[in-house]
Amino acid sequence: MDLPFVKEALHQLFSKSSCAMYPVVPSEAAPNYRGRIVYHPDRCLGCGMCERVCSGNAITRTVEHLPDDQGDKITLTFNLGSCTFCATCADFCSSHSIEFTGDYHMVATKEEDLLVSGSFIKAPRKKPAAPAAPAKAEACAAAEPAAEAPKPREDGKPVNDPAKCVYCTLCARKCPAGALTVDRAAKTWTLDEDKCVACGTCAEACPKNCIIM
Amino acid sequence: MFKKLIQESMGKSPWLFHINAGSCNGCDIELVSVLTPRYDAERLGFKLAGSPRHADIVVVTGPVTKQSLPRVLRAISQVPEPRCIVTMGSCPQSGNVFRGSYSVAGPLSKYVHVDVDVAGCAPKPEAVIDGLALATQILKEKRGQMK
Repeated sequence: MDLPFVKEALHQLFSKSSCAMYPVVPSEAAPNYRGRIVYHPDRCLGCGMCERVCSGNAITRTVEHLPDDQGDKITLTFNLGSCTFCATCADFCSSHSIEFTGDYHMVATKEEDLLVSGSFIKAPRKKPAAPAAPAKAEACAAAEPAAEAPKPREDGKPVNDPAKCVYCTLCARKCPAGALTVDRAAKTWTLDEDKCVACGTCAEACPKNCIIM
Repeated sequence: MFKKLIQESMGKSPWLFHINAGSCNGCDIELVSVLTPRYDAERLGFKLAGSPRHADIVVVTGPVTKQSLPRVLRAISQVPEPRCIVTMGSCPQSGNVFRGSYSVAGPLSKYVHVDVDVAGCAPKPEAVIDGLALATQILKEKRGQMK
């Protein structure tokens, strides 16, 4: 008598189960899995690039002006219930303050439990009237061909090298804070120091590497 | 005595009803993988029911489109009390990338009380099992209150 599949049936009967047995056997996420967001406010510059590139509108940035010239309290809130975990915000963050972890246990009974929030206090800009004026003069002098290669500034804000600059306006278009104004016709490169957050996006975007941070 | 036995066994085996409210099919596939042998939620008693009248837990995926909204509400109203509504993925919680679209009527919490949110896009099957386990606990509490 021929019994088909008996060998296979017996093999399956005594072989190990293919089930992952999840709650009993804990399971790690795969490497580079994009799970719960961890936000590092100590590294953040508050440029708002993450909020702009977020496709799911999961990131909200609130700026609270503190009294007595103490600066601004900037709070970033990530709503995991609205996130697609595409990590575009982390890719665009020049200070690497957004991190995607392998924690996938994002189960909540209240919507507030799915919010990841962090805040930092941004010190007010020092207001020395004298150094601000030469900086602007430097920017205006950018058109002059005889100007020497500029040195990086102490406050980490960008400086343009007019010898290399082609006034392509890429830096002004990429600036998340809208601090740069570039005029192609007049060949001027102007930095609004009040708006600049020194994130370095302009220097990364520059095709000629003429912006020095 | 039999009533108590039935109550006990119902707590051990909550049946699921899955509603696709305009989902991209990512979450639906993850839910199927939860029930199939690799993750096998059926060993924990979860079983996919074909009719909302047989179900204890409703799993909703998708951003709740205008077309699907009346059907979703009708199906949910047919689920007998006590019931537990689980949203799976980011879409039913907020609309996700479909938020603000002319055809999206969500989030779901505008229309019904949502008990458990499972975040992720799409959530990992392990997270779905966690969410269903939490839903079972909530279901047990609701059953206790109804007595």
